[in-house]
Amino acid sequence: MTKASRIFSIFSAILFAILVIALFRLQALKGRYYQQVAESNIFRIRRIFATRGEIYDNKYRPIVQNIPSHDLYLTSNKITDLKALSRFLNLHLEIDEEELFDLVQKQRFKTYEEIMIADNIDYDKMLSISEYLNYYPELTFRIGSTRSYLYPNHFSGYVGRINEQEYEKYRSEDYSLNGYIGKTGLERFYEVLLRGRDGREIVQVDARGRSLGLFGIDEGYIKPLNGLSLVLTIDNDLQNFCAQAFPEHLRGALVVSDVRTGGILAYISKPDYDPNLFMQRISPEIWDELNRPAKPMLDRVIHATYPPGSVFKPITAGLGLEKRLVNRNTRLSSCRGGFQYGNRFFRCWLHAGHGSTNVVQALTQSCDVYFYDLSLKLPLEEFKDYVIRSGLYAKTGIDLPNERRGFFPDAEWYKKTFGPNIGISGHKINLSIGQGETLTSPIQMNAYFAAIANGGNWIQPHLLKQTVGRSRLTVSEVQALRRFRLPFSSSDLKTIQDGLYDVCNAPTGTARSVQVPGAKTFGKTGSAENSMGKTTHAWFCGYIETDKPEIAITVFMENAGGGGAMAAPVAKKVFDYYIGNIEDIKRTVALPEQFRTAEDSEEQDEPEDIETIEHRQLDEPEAETEEEL
Amino acid sequence: MINRKKFDFALLALLVALVLLGCIAIYSASTTVISGVKSTQNHWWRQIIFALFAFGGVALILWTPMPIFDILILPAFVANIFALILVLFAPAVSGAHRWFSIGGVNFQPSESAKLFSILLVARSISREGLSDYRKLFYGFGIMALPMFLIVIEPDLGTSLIFLLSLMAMFIAADVPVFYILFILSPAISVIASVHWIGIVIWLSFLVFFLIRSRLSWVAITVAGIGNAFISLIMPMLWMGLKDYQQNRILTFFDPTRDPLGAGYQIIQAKIAVGSGSLIGKGWLGGTQKNMNFLPEHHTDFIFSVIGEEFGFIGSLLLLGLFAAFFGRMIHAVGELKVLERKVATAGIFAYLMSQSFINIGMNIGLVPATGIPLPFISYGGSNLLFSTLSVAVILKYMNERGFMK
Repeated sequence: MTKASRIFSIFSAILFAILVIALFRLQALKGRYYQQVAESNIFRIRRIFATRGEIYDNKYRPIVQNIPSHDLYLTSNKITDLKALSRFLNLHLEIDEEELFDLVQKQRFKTYEEIMIADNIDYDKMLSISEYLNYYPELTFRIGSTRSYLYPNHFSGYVGRINEQEYEKYRSEDYSLNGYIGKTGLERFYEVLLRGRDGREIVQVDARGRSLGLFGIDEGYIKPLNGLSLVLTIDNDLQNFCAQAFPEHLRGALVVSDVRTGGILAYISKPDYDPNLFMQRISPEIWDELNRPAKPMLDRVIHATYPPGSVFKPITAGLGLEKRLVNRNTRLSSCRGGFQYGNRFFRCWLHAGHGSTNVVQALTQSCDVYFYDLSLKLPLEEFKDYVIRSGLYAKTGIDLPNERRGFFPDAEWYKKTFGPNIGISGHKINLSIGQGETLTSPIQMNAYFAAIANGGNWIQPHLLKQTVGRSRLTVSEVQALRRFRLPFSSSDLKTIQDGLYDVCNAPTGTARSVQVPGAKTFGKTGSAENSMGKTTHAWFCGYIETDKPEIAITVFMENAGGGGAMAAPVAKKVFDYYIGNIEDIKRTVALPEQFRTAEDSEEQDEPEDIETIEHRQLDEPEAETEEEL
Repeated sequence: MINRKKFDFALLALLVALVLLGCIAIYSASTTVISGVKSTQNHWWRQIIFALFAFGGVALILWTPMPIFDILILPAFVANIFALILVLFAPAVSGAHRWFSIGGVNFQPSESAKLFSILLVARSISREGLSDYRKLFYGFGIMALPMFLIVIEPDLGTSLIFLLSLMAMFIAADVPVFYILFILSPAISVIASVHWIGIVIWLSFLVFFLIRSRLSWVAITVAGIGNAFISLIMPMLWMGLKDYQQNRILTFFDPTRDPLGAGYQIIQAKIAVGSGSLIGKGWLGGTQKNMNFLPEHHTDFIFSVIGEEFGFIGSLLLLGLFAAFFGRMIHAVGELKVLERKVATAGIFAYLMSQSFINIGMNIGLVPATGIPLPFISYGGSNLLFSTLSVAVILKYMNERGFMK
């Protein structure tokens, strides 16, 4: 034996001896004790679900709330007769055999864990099931919590049971297969804030409920951290009014935003759907209803892009002014109902013609010919670059998932699509009035017009105002808001604003009806031809000013007709409502009691009388136990 | 190909026995019975396919002519280093970048790195006329790169295995033991500083050993004072730590302090092994395997299934197999006369031995959970393949000994 093998032998002998002694102690000496522990299966960890944050409007009125729900759980190692169980569940909960087997199979290596097999069960159904629970020891009812969405909308989104792909993807973030995850909308976008962190508790009690103190552990408890609640910039009153103001039978979108902050006050997409439908099993009929041709699930504010038509004209005008091709007073080709270019005749919407116009008049009357003529002097690449700089190409970055970006072609795209010999000028003529390949989403348009109102300062549109609960974060603490300046000199901006003012206020304006006592109105109509149907899309984008800029509105209606006739009247109603209720809408509301923390009461300057202090002291412990539940 | 007089049939037989036992345990670990319906996950036959590949690899290694085998070591090591760098950019699985996923099969480059690093180190420290310092320098130099890449994956346990194999290789390469003791002494001082009795015993042992090794008084004094200083300053550093930092360290060494986190698996594994009692619950009879281990019981916690179903008798049998297996390896270390092969064999022995001890120790609560699989038994392609190939290298050395020198 060499020296090395002697050393290795000694080391190995020591290590094996340690293992043998330890195993002897564990299995031979304490074997009976561990057998008992194993048989009674008393040492387990139970997850304590954190309470998901709720969602409120800007005056702390609820939009999404938690409500208790009755959930049915299954412990698969207690199953005695799978067939009988499956018949029972099929009868009461319409869970078919295959689905149940699949569920049991999937979690078959966690047979001690409870699987949630049905959530949010009706009270009556719960009662009828409970009568039979004696025969099915594997089933347990537990009180959980589910979401209640107070009105149909597209921004809140909804939560759902976590599915297998999501579980695989996020399992490291401590998701449970019995848990929920935000599927769309704010519920998904702010999942991390809303969710909180689940707690844990060690269960190690005997049949009489005594703690066994195994392994020297008396109790193990990790308190769940509840999710943060969201306070939105949405104003429920205004949202409600806008939803009513939008004609019932039409498809489209309506967005109202606060010009100075970029916060969205109202966010409508029609037709809409009730997110509560997703809180229960969806029947095939409801599913068909949700997928009907009008696509109620489609969020037309951000998930779809459309030809903007004439609401795009301020962009074309802006580039002409920026490049000094025209100034405020330059008149271009006289409009006689259209514009001859080569062998093609491009029509103006007004067949009688507008005559010769300058930029303000061209915007006011929405004269196409002015922009046709201007477009011939604009290089396509610069045009696209200008569209990008105006924030109409990239996503706005609104705090919702799956936003779509806009589209504007360049020469390369044309060559790829139509072949290398394509003439671009004819296409440019179409692009100049927001037709052709130009596509924008209603939210992009809203942000653009809000920026014009706000002295050219573009602010990322957003729905979140702040969080309340465990920590109080403002929107910019959660996510830095993107800001930039629209490519306007201050005199050019004034020119465009004057044009938009005349649209609503000059006798020749296309939206003369949009006037509101007590405020100055600005806007632009659009009637966009499109591939979806013969009738044009109706657009109105605009804003109002009192002593300072107030709100920007975008009204968009699919295949509804002319922007002046269809969209502008809706905008006027909303403006009227806003000015009529301006004090109520702008009033600030004190933070409700349930969101206040100890620091808030210290910070308050007003002297409190003893009664309220006592009241609070009494309240506090109660509030805390509520949280623990 | 096989030289009947020299080939170590016993080692091969023990290897096959361990792999088969592994498949049987994996079958049980992935089987569950719900209301009389038995269902099994496909891990066990995947493991059998891995085993067939691995034994194909054994044949290939035995068949490859020695010169070609020797030439391939360096390129294999370099390629493996690249794989270790690339894996850092692979998507993380439970927080660590350890696996590539290629066509549904996961590959763990740190498994192959053990074998290739050992072979390369053996090559470079076995050249004639190297001073002890050079041996230490080359050995640490080569091991440092894969160890660093594996530490940042992060996978502390695996890089510890590298260090232990390196020490064994130094011993086999006749580097005086006091050098190794020198190198390890600061780490031992840190551990010994837990209790004053530990400090006293350790320091007296160190000084005694160094005196016996006939070192100069200067070296002994420096080592003694240096280590005494480390031992004495540790408690102060400890006091300087924040509570949660202290807790984190204590929990690493005693996971049961955190029963809701790291301790849960170990407590469950202990219950499983302990409840196996003397004779066990019988094959497929285990109940604790369904207690939702993470990582799952067919990989790192496979021993808990064996302990539960085969009891103390079964555990002893498995330990006996392992003991005989490692006995053959130690025997090989003594038999091999070419220094490079002897050193490589020592490295492979230490790698498999330390993994086995750490893994079983973890299953019975002796050692902190470090995510180290049990060689030949735990489910996992990379682990099975490269542990088996390592043994193949020893089989090859034994088979071809005596041809040179």
